[in-house]
Amino acid sequence: MTKIEPTGGQAHPGDEALLAELDRMIDEFDPPPAGLVERIQFAIALEDLDVEVARWERADSLAGVRGSDQGTITFTVSDLTVMINLTRIGENNRIDGWLVPAGEHAVEIRVAEHGSRETTADEGGRFVLDGVPRGTTQIIIQLYGPPARTVVTPTVLL
Amino acid sequence: MHAARAGSRIARATLVKDLTPLVWHVARGNGLDRTTAEDVVQTVWLALFSHINSLAEPKALASWLITTTRREAHRVRVKVTNDLPLTDEMAEQLPSTQPQPEDEALRTDRDTRLWRAFGELPEKCQELLRLTVLAGRSEYRLVAEAMQMKRGSIGPTRGRCLNTLRELLDTEGGGG
Repeated sequence: MTKIEPTGGQAHPGDEALLAELDRMIDEFDPPPAGLVERIQFAIALEDLDVEVARWERADSLAGVRGSDQGTITFTVSDLTVMINLTRIGENNRIDGWLVPAGEHAVEIRVAEHGSRETTADEGGRFVLDGVPRGTTQIIIQLYGPPARTVVTPTVLL
Repeated sequence: MHAARAGSRIARATLVKDLTPLVWHVARGNGLDRTTAEDVVQTVWLALFSHINSLAEPKALASWLITTTRREAHRVRVKVTNDLPLTDEMAEQLPSTQPQPEDEALRTDRDTRLWRAFGELPEKCQELLRLTVLAGRSEYRLVAEAMQMKRGSIGPTRGRCLNTLRELLDTEGGGG
């Protein structure tokens, strides 16, 4: 019982059943990670979305390891690099950051359900924030131009 | 979508909730492991909302998301390849990009074999079949509309992908 599709393709009689199986299986075997939607919703809940998005330059992407021994994380967008070094102290993180190119840029660190913390980098591009609550975290950097730019990172679970 | 462009936080959150599975399955269908796919999904959404004013046609949203996700997935993979050339031997040692069923005993044998066969399909087939499945769901009418633009090529290609999947399944399980 081969039917001819309007497009001219030959449909196998089992196609619909196979697609129905796949429909069930992508949810069973490969659903979006738990909490991903919430992390994205947090990331885009910004006052001003006229931003550039830095990408996570993940050295360990091949190993597929996440969350363990994250000493240093690097984000980049166009000419800007944001490096952060993380130290766990009790329930909180100490964040040592470094912006390249250097400058006295404003840095905001948002943590889901814990508001945000702000500081300013020194002329060498370095900044430190102590006692940052652990959780879903996003970094926002205001670069004083000209031209002024806002760079945001994706959220990271720190 | 109009509300999202106007900046309504709730409208944006709703779009993200509704269409994240689409972005996810395009990323996964383009060969990204789950960890990298998660980064790409976030990057694509942030890029959308920072450029939403230039996206004139709401109906174009689904195709914009698909195209941008493909491009970003490609960019990430080129970078990974440049960082560390993959030899066949190394590729074998890499963890599979397919998640391992947590408790295979709970799965039917058929499901496990089918999913494994699916993972052996060419990427283009994996992406197309994921999109086909999503487009068939009522909440993904946007995707169906985006795909309808090129329906002419989708029917036969999808049929070939499903045929290949059946062949892989037969080979894999020794029939049955």
